[in-house]
Amino acid sequence: MSSLKTPTCDRSQALIALLMGGTFFFSTPTWAASCCGGGGAATLVLPKFFSSMYDISIGYEQYHGFWNKEGEHINDPPGSDLNQLRITPGYALRINPNWQASFILPYVWNDNQYAGLNSKTNGLGDATLGFWYENFDDIKCVYAVNSLEDLTPAAYFGASLTIPTGVSPYDDVKNSFDITGRGFYRLDANMLMDKTVFPWGLTLNLSYGIYLERDVNQEYGSFVEPYKRQLGNRFSGSIAFSYSTTLEKLDTLTYTFTYANLKEDEASINGATDTTSGFETQSVSFALAYSTMAKDWIVRMSFNHLPTNDGLGSNFPATDTFTVGVSYVIP
Amino acid sequence: MLFLRSLLLVLIFHLSACTDLLDDINPSDSDRRGDFDATTIGYHPGETAADFASFDTLNETVVMSAELVGSNAIVLYFTMWCPVCDSHMTHMRKNTIPNYPDVKFYFVDYVSGMISVARAAQLSNGYGSSNVLVDDINHTITNLYNATMGTTIVIDNTSIVQMNEDYKDGRKLQEVLDALP
Repeated sequence: MSSLKTPTCDRSQALIALLMGGTFFFSTPTWAASCCGGGGAATLVLPKFFSSMYDISIGYEQYHGFWNKEGEHINDPPGSDLNQLRITPGYALRINPNWQASFILPYVWNDNQYAGLNSKTNGLGDATLGFWYENFDDIKCVYAVNSLEDLTPAAYFGASLTIPTGVSPYDDVKNSFDITGRGFYRLDANMLMDKTVFPWGLTLNLSYGIYLERDVNQEYGSFVEPYKRQLGNRFSGSIAFSYSTTLEKLDTLTYTFTYANLKEDEASINGATDTTSGFETQSVSFALAYSTMAKDWIVRMSFNHLPTNDGLGSNFPATDTFTVGVSYVIP
Repeated sequence: MLFLRSLLLVLIFHLSACTDLLDDINPSDSDRRGDFDATTIGYHPGETAADFASFDTLNETVVMSAELVGSNAIVLYFTMWCPVCDSHMTHMRKNTIPNYPDVKFYFVDYVSGMISVARAAQLSNGYGSSNVLVDDINHTITNLYNATMGTTIVIDNTSIVQMNEDYKDGRKLQEVLDALP
């Protein structure tokens, strides 16, 4: 017996696809703060059968110490209050029935207060150009599993390019507080698989990125002996569980819980490994998304948390991030 | 095509407004360091280092010129107690400091502004046995040496700046210390 495919199920898959774009935002902790380079983001996912989408999200990230290289969590200096605000507009466009492209460009505000120093700076973050191939031709959301075919997930395969539009240590900047980007191009291969048996959903998100080696001839505005630097390869993965409810007017609410892991290998300088670099972190997040019946407006909010226990991170700041976002989807 | 055109326009707008971006989008490998010599007081390698006085976290006065007496050099590392700083400082303590007993190493806290706060940060980060200088609330040392997070400065015993750049992987620091007169 073929599965039922109703507008509710259809809407659920569309919403979850959007949320998965959001999942990158929500659960992949950005390497942020003025100490470390700022707001990169991720790729948007345009729901199947829609032609384009405008998206904007506002994220507020608070810092709560960091893990050192050995995985020990260290508190921030007394009297410090470190925050970053990111506004990330994005646009996604369907190229053909199975291909889509997107572009996002965050703007970053750093707001750091130490006992003896206050700093407020802002600037562009790193932009991301993304492409997705949808390896399915119809909605994969089902109400019940009656055959093996009903277990077929909606699979997306993609690539993205991070463009160093942010301000990095290798720009003509005065100090580390001005930094809003990492300064490197990065190519990512991305995979997203989603299976919804309404109202439940399970989503797996994997990404592997390679930074391109670059020349450096200045640091914080001072010229140095030129050298080549390449950041380490980067892996991120997340798994998300979701539950959707249909409201009285057939609007949809979706609750999503996500666990994510992010790891970046050690960088190299002139081909030699930089043992002071590389990092790893884990995060959990909870997201709530609301979609109108027509699926044209989606509003979402999320809370992303990096647990500060020893051993749950390495060489990385611990943060909490609140995000709200709105998407306008055009049929 | 509409998408690509829009994208191009947005990029051109941002790039025209922020020329600094081009440093990352199109990095350069040209050596643009200037020629600096000891006749000038400044922070560039080759110049004569400006003398300074500061307090350490034990409330002792530290004067650069006095510290150089009887030493091969002094090393200043500027920290804001962040992950990158900790990684650099740990690496320096483990791989560099023990090998240069005639060089004095100082971590410069340029964000705390007060001795008591700097001392608390020093202890909570596990650097209780290290020499930590506290830059004042006007950031005198930081400005004097055009320093920021991770800046590593080597001043030899003739007061010449031998290095002033990011710590990176620590190799450059060791090369400079090995080549001291």
